[in-house]
Amino acid sequence: MRPLDEELRSALRRQEPPAGFVERVMARLAAQAAPRAGWAQVARAFLGWPRLRWAAVGAVACLVMAIGVVQYQRGQRAQGEMAKAQLKQALHIASSKLNQARKRVQEIDRRSPQS
Amino acid sequence: MTAATQRMEEALSRTAQGDRSAFEAIVREHQAMVFGMAYHFFHDASRAEDVSQEVFLRLYQNLRSIQSPVHLMLWLRKVTSRCCIDVVRKGPPDREISLEESLEPAQAARDADPLLSRRLQRLVASLPENARMVIILRYQEELELAEIAQILEIPINTVKSRLQRALETLREKLAAVLEINFHETS
Repeated sequence: MRPLDEELRSALRRQEPPAGFVERVMARLAAQAAPRAGWAQVARAFLGWPRLRWAAVGAVACLVMAIGVVQYQRGQRAQGEMAKAQLKQALHIASSKLNQARKRVQEIDRRSPQS
Repeated sequence: MTAATQRMEEALSRTAQGDRSAFEAIVREHQAMVFGMAYHFFHDASRAEDVSQEVFLRLYQNLRSIQSPVHLMLWLRKVTSRCCIDVVRKGPPDREISLEESLEPAQAARDADPLLSRRLQRLVASLPENARMVIILRYQEELELAEIAQILEIPINTVKSRLQRALETLREKLAAVLEINFHETS
């Protein structure tokens, strides 16, 4: 038997892979290189066109304005509701005070009918 | 500069420009080295193929970091070693491979005993993973201890001690196997 070093050199030679190895690597590579486009990629591709980029900016500006208008209207409506509620309460207080005054007057009238 | 180095340099620059056929040439040139390392590590062609494919896919993703054919060799050896060791550490234990399942030893030397070569391959595959890779880099790739240390990112003294210990283990195991065979045949 030859020395272990030599035996190891001949046992551990470089080994060719099974046939079709390169083709399998390239197929995996092709599959990896063309992944299904996600929404982020679609958006990026969409924004890559100059005209569409401006259209997208315009659309976003419109959306922001619409949201602002809706918010403003909501605020106005809320203020109106609050004023209405306050007016109702004031009227309620005023009517109860009037009732009290009327009762007093009626009472005074009842006590002194002869005079 | 040798013709092979020049060819690789051209292939690298063409691949960097997106030429797939140039990358194919790189794979063809280095497949025996990468597959051989993985095959001797696992002694299992299917696992070796999986790891080798993974190594080349990673290479494609990291092509921009490769500066030269020499760097490419170092990178491939480094990544193959790391992938092989990671598979063993993360995956299920190695399965026993019968002699019939193993591939023919490549280009066997004229006076090499094929049966002994197969036995040695199995014994190497049974070593602890770190020692196994040191043996493969030393005897398949015929690297110096300093080069092995650089690839495995360990001190040169660790390489030396792992190599010595692995060789002792192999000698003992081989002697035991041969003794059994001798008794069986006599």
